[in-house]
Amino acid sequence: MRHPTDGMLRRLLDEPAGVADSDRQHVAGCSRCLSGLAIIGEDAAIVETSLSTEAAVDVDVDAAWRRLSAAATATAPGPQLANVPARAGRARPILRRPTVAACAVAVVLTGAGVAAANDWLPIFRTERIAPLSLSTSELNSLPDLGAFGDVVLTGDGDVHSVPDARAATAETGLAVPEVTTLPRGVTGEPLYQVGGEVSATFTFSTDRTVEAAAEAGTTLPLPPPGLDGTQVRLVAGPGLAEIWSRTTGVPSLVVGRAVAPTASSSSDVPFEALRDYLLSLSGLNDDVAAQLRAFNADGSTLPLPVPGDFVETDSAQVDGVPATVLATRDRTMAAVVWVDAGVVTAVAGSLDVDEVLSIARELR
Amino acid sequence: MERVAVSDSLRGPVRADLDEIFRRDYARVVGVAARVLDSPHQAEDVAQEVFLSFGRSSVPAGEATGWLCVAAAHIALNVLRSGRRRVSREETVAAGDAAAVADVAETVVTLDERSRARAALAQLPRNHAVALVLRHSGLSYAEVAAALDLSSGSVGTTVRRAESALRKELNRDASSD
Repeated sequence: MRHPTDGMLRRLLDEPAGVADSDRQHVAGCSRCLSGLAIIGEDAAIVETSLSTEAAVDVDVDAAWRRLSAAATATAPGPQLANVPARAGRARPILRRPTVAACAVAVVLTGAGVAAANDWLPIFRTERIAPLSLSTSELNSLPDLGAFGDVVLTGDGDVHSVPDARAATAETGLAVPEVTTLPRGVTGEPLYQVGGEVSATFTFSTDRTVEAAAEAGTTLPLPPPGLDGTQVRLVAGPGLAEIWSRTTGVPSLVVGRAVAPTASSSSDVPFEALRDYLLSLSGLNDDVAAQLRAFNADGSTLPLPVPGDFVETDSAQVDGVPATVLATRDRTMAAVVWVDAGVVTAVAGSLDVDEVLSIARELR
Repeated sequence: MERVAVSDSLRGPVRADLDEIFRRDYARVVGVAARVLDSPHQAEDVAQEVFLSFGRSSVPAGEATGWLCVAAAHIALNVLRSGRRRVSREETVAAGDAAAVADVAETVVTLDERSRARAALAQLPRNHAVALVLRHSGLSYAEVAAALDLSSGSVGTTVRRAESALRKELNRDASSD
């Protein structure tokens, strides 16, 4: 009888039942095969020992799941602006992503000043950013603007890759931040992405708001006179990003820069009236509502809603400019963001706070 | 309560069964990566990358475990080969603790052998290395065969060749010390 192959002898060590009876019987009576089996067994044992590890013993699945959740949220594909229908009803899904929805609501709610004429009046211009800490449930409970009226996207971001920094500057008019020293573990050349100006016009609709309230099982206070039809226009961008990625496409370092958001209003209703009315409908608790009102002081501070149960915030200075530092509580990701002369810059990645701050302060 | 909040934060284009599969297979995926990297922190980094990719994939649920393990092996081997291994502060501390409580000489020998094994693993043909890692991570011959699209019969041959090559590399390294 033909001797079994080395592969079959190897399986005999691990899964004898997977080897035919005739082969097992042959091996049991064949000195050559028994000798081969002994060598194969010795090799297998040595390899098993040398590849041993204690790594999986103390896996904390709950902590790992929280980390994955934070990463999935942070790396969720951005809105596909080029493909988004312009009408509000169909635009809603992109605004349901909690952070996007929260940002849009926050910008509207914190615009300052009184729009006294029918012309577009600037009510908000980002000069600095401050974190607004919300729990995940609060973030998720924020209604998108579509619940209060029509949202029409009037700009097209058209996010796309460009070959190099020069092309990114040419398309956006923004200087590309130059990273002088890459942190350990980040290598190679970045991918450059750019996006054009994005704008959206929100038109308050009493009917839509009544409808949303009815769906939520609540009754509404009377809206301020003239609120129906009030418009707020949000504009942000253009912007660019340099992205260093791992082999799977997960970004390890992202440096982004964009023209900071601004808002204008066409309303002849005092802005505070619109803000307070929306706040009363938002479902936010009193503390958060009070924080949002406090942002209103001069219409220049953009609240950055962050999930406080996953992310810690701190303040720092980058080249003399106040900056907001964000770090996930499990220390797997960090970011720093600041505004200078109407341009917002951010450095983020699977790094620690010291690393992102160091990169930020050394940008050219 | 916390679990509900975590699930909510994964809203977006993420497959619905991710939570269940993550909790079922996470430790196993970390184990596969750890076989390659011998680093708990790096193994968890790899597992995170694997599940992020999986979460946005349409891999059939029935093939999830095999897909995850193969992906973990490949990514970990990429990390190993690209020299991106980083020793974190925690690992340094942990190694110090281990050395303090174990026999020092034996610990040094073991660590050296493990290190040489990883270097040798990086030199193997990719399919041999992946099959070896999956088998030594506890996947059955049938599971390895399904994950790598091999016949069951050829799994033993592939694993045997990989072990033989690895043993030679280890012997060569040892004799040149």
